[in-house]
Amino acid sequence: MNESRTPLRILAPEGSAPTILRELSRRRFLSIAALTGGAAVLAACTPGGGGSPAPQATGGALENSLSIYTWGDYDSPEVVAAFTSELGPRITLDSYSSNEELIAKLIAARGTSGFDIVVPTGVFVPQMIENGLLTKFNKDLLPNLSNIDPAYLGRAWDPTNDYSVCKAWGTTGFVYDKTLITRELTTWGDFFDAAQNEASGKTSMSDDPAGVVGAYFWAEDMDWNTEDPDDLEACRAFLVDEIAPHISAFDSYPGTNSIPQGTQMLMQAWNGDARLGILEASDPDRWQWVLPGPITELWMDNWAIAEGAPNPEAAHAFINFSMTPENLALNLDYIGYNVGGKDMEQAAIDEGLELTDLIFFTPEQLATMREQELNDSQTVRVEIWNEMKVAAGA
Amino acid sequence: MTQTQTETILRAREEPGRGAKPPRGPRKSWSDIAFNVWGVLVMLFLFAPIIVIVIYSFNTGRLLVSWDGFGFDAFLTILEKPAIQNAVRVSLITAVFAAIIATALGTLAGIAMARHPGKWVWWFLSLLLLVSVTPEIVDAVALLPWFVLLGQDLGIGMFNDGYVRLSVGSSLFATAVVSYIVRARLVGQDANLEEASADLYAKPITTFRRITLALAMPAVLAGFLLAFTLSLDNTIVAAFVQVSGTTPWPVYVLSAVRSGLRPEIAAVSTIMLLLTLLALALVAFVLRRAGDSATQIARTMTGG
Amino acid sequence: MRSRSAGAALAIPAWAWLLVFFVAPVAMVIWFSFGYKPGVFGTHSNDILSLDRYAEALSPTFFATFQNTLWVGLIGTALCFLIGAPVAYWMAFKVAPHRRGILIALVLVPFWTNFLVRTIGWQVILAPEGWMSGLLQGIGILDGPLEILYTRTAVIIGVVYNYLPLMVLPLFVAFDRVGPALREASKDLGAGKLATFFRVTLPLSRPGVIAGVLLVFIPLMGDYITATVLGGARGNMVGQLVASQFQTAQNWALGSAMAVVLMLVIMLTIAVAAAVIWVVTLPFRSSNRLVLGPEETKTDADTPAPAEVMS
Repeated sequence: MNESRTPLRILAPEGSAPTILRELSRRRFLSIAALTGGAAVLAACTPGGGGSPAPQATGGALENSLSIYTWGDYDSPEVVAAFTSELGPRITLDSYSSNEELIAKLIAARGTSGFDIVVPTGVFVPQMIENGLLTKFNKDLLPNLSNIDPAYLGRAWDPTNDYSVCKAWGTTGFVYDKTLITRELTTWGDFFDAAQNEASGKTSMSDDPAGVVGAYFWAEDMDWNTEDPDDLEACRAFLVDEIAPHISAFDSYPGTNSIPQGTQMLMQAWNGDARLGILEASDPDRWQWVLPGPITELWMDNWAIAEGAPNPEAAHAFINFSMTPENLALNLDYIGYNVGGKDMEQAAIDEGLELTDLIFFTPEQLATMREQELNDSQTVRVEIWNEMKVAAGA
Repeated sequence: MTQTQTETILRAREEPGRGAKPPRGPRKSWSDIAFNVWGVLVMLFLFAPIIVIVIYSFNTGRLLVSWDGFGFDAFLTILEKPAIQNAVRVSLITAVFAAIIATALGTLAGIAMARHPGKWVWWFLSLLLLVSVTPEIVDAVALLPWFVLLGQDLGIGMFNDGYVRLSVGSSLFATAVVSYIVRARLVGQDANLEEASADLYAKPITTFRRITLALAMPAVLAGFLLAFTLSLDNTIVAAFVQVSGTTPWPVYVLSAVRSGLRPEIAAVSTIMLLLTLLALALVAFVLRRAGDSATQIARTMTGG
Repeated sequence: MRSRSAGAALAIPAWAWLLVFFVAPVAMVIWFSFGYKPGVFGTHSNDILSLDRYAEALSPTFFATFQNTLWVGLIGTALCFLIGAPVAYWMAFKVAPHRRGILIALVLVPFWTNFLVRTIGWQVILAPEGWMSGLLQGIGILDGPLEILYTRTAVIIGVVYNYLPLMVLPLFVAFDRVGPALREASKDLGAGKLATFFRVTLPLSRPGVIAGVLLVFIPLMGDYITATVLGGARGNMVGQLVASQFQTAQNWALGSAMAVVLMLVIMLTIAVAAAVIWVVTLPFRSSNRLVLGPEETKTDADTPAPAEVMS
């Protein structure tokens, strides 16, 4: 937390100075500012609907409750409790285990789902915007956007951050057992090579077509969102015929079981998941994490507000609240992924966070990470993934 | 010699309180011992992973599967997470509702199939078969738009409530299960007792209540327990039809896998296990203390 | 008959419930299966109806996966029966009556723990570097680490474990229905334990056996999560294919078509199995026909039909 902020000067009657000093915390100031700003907006705005869909929240009073539909255990309980005690609304957390489930729910509910905040992964945001499932942010209510590192704003799925903002982001790499695979692996090509040789029958890949099909294109340094049928056919031939027979499991979370229990030799994994596994393993030095070249993935979970949210003010307030430096740090510590805040690395190292190189990446590393794009090739990718499973299980 | 055996058994049943132990009769044969051993082994097999989970609920580490040290941290953390408490509560309540619905419907249907067969039984069995054969994901994606239709478009507000949706969704397969079991219990068992009852001028409803239902009672209770169990674990349908504020426990667990399962999950399972065992012990204790008539009821219920 | 139709009316609530909450929605899904996926961001559309999704569903991938699933399903059900039947028998006949209720509940108690948590419990038990592996190596039963995880054996263990109560309970209820009287009569007539079981107890409890087998086999064919967690790639089941179309591919039309094909194939398998069993037991049935009562005397008034006892 940096201390270099210009002091706030207030001219006030002497008697009220202690009150002001007591009451004026930064958060209070922001909410009061939001309220007055909102009141001004309200006063200025004319009745009668506008043409384009306007953000619902206008900076009015916060409602009594807030409903968040998110991944399980994805928010620090301290942040959630602090929000309720400082700003008031009671929070209800509901969980889903896949983006597609979230989208299906919102589409079927047609705006009456009752959820305020949802947390989609970036690649699905265009689909949700297209289907009218999200409302635009009222950026006036999100001044803490300035605490987010600009490198993580303006991503391909939402360049203007009108609908979504980074909550946490990660990448895909792999982990291998140093004692059994003695040579150094650094690229996706090395990964596939080891899978066919030393780690045959003890390799796991993600249970997810994006990561599995993507690995081939990352190894070949090609655009992994390609729709070219020849490229996809080459990918299928390689993965199904040459790699699949050596795969023993399709597991998206090796950090939660394979790494601590030592059941595999080579595992494709997300950085946060790998970090968790290595930290919790009985012998961490046995495992080596690799951010493989030449290219790999960048995925991002985003705050977003659902269409028809019953508590838009509270929704904005919570998203804003989560982006204060203290709360960013709390969430970073709790979930173990980069939460996108500015200048968090040094503070995290000072606080004693371990294996920070699995959370914070250099700009050069960041440049090798590519985002996913959902397109017509999705059907073929799912087919390839299913065929791999059949070939691996034979 | 057989007569003595039968007499001995009958006497032992009639007078449970006589002496410290009822007369044991002849020594247990090898097959009896083998059965006892097998039964115990299978029980151990069933409880093996549960025992592991109970042990790991005292894990002070970050990950459930990675043992760090012994402590009660996980139990204390549950108090800080209202999401977990809500999830368990939602699951228990909807499981009870779903079990009641499934048992009521399934018992009636099973009795109807066994006692009043006709052409319609084939159709009904086919329907039950269809219910069993349908993959859960199909049920889930089908029920969600259906509930929205009923709740929003047709305005039947009840279907917007999370508990109603979850109970209905969980009760479908359970109804089929209970119907099968009750029918299996009654079918082929002659309707003599019911006829006798009718001959003795009992009204149909009395016959139903005191004869048919009593005969089917072990199946009804077994069905209720099974329906409760199935509903408690209902994941996929529950995930799709849940509404804000009613996330059931299995959905929470599955969605927490992404962030790495914590020992709190095991701690909750341990608490639920303890509560269940306590409830069972309480029931057994109450029945034993309540006297002979209650013990008789218990015996009838378990087919003694 | 009035009483018969009144009695059949007992089933009406169940009919209505299932029709409204099951048949109607599933009919919708079957309707979906004739549609298509309208572009990247849509899930389903029925503007154009066709059977193309069924052609896609009947792919080699589907059949290869179905083969694996069928293998697991048959072996799993058979093992459930072999393991569960003695337990049900023990509970019905060998255990003191006042203990039976507790035992029924105890069989179910493990399943009041979430299934993923139970499966993780198995993962911990079967871990190659876990305590059980160490124990077995220490005793000398194993030469190296326990290599069951991510094999077909692990799939079978997981699957049998999850469905054992669904086999034990119907079997218990059915065995219990047989009661001690007929079994004692059989023993009085000189039959040994095995003969009594196969010729008296088992045939009389046939509805329960069928219920147990169906209640295990059918859901097992659609199950997939436990199989993949414990068996890895070896646990590839066809239910996962269906789910992947509804979830990952967001192609509800294809998913619906696959689901319909899966349901039809399961029903076909059951029909084939029933036919096979009927044919196989044909010689047993005819040879066991036991005719009681006098055959030679015939009166004008009444021809006593020879009572036939078939096992």
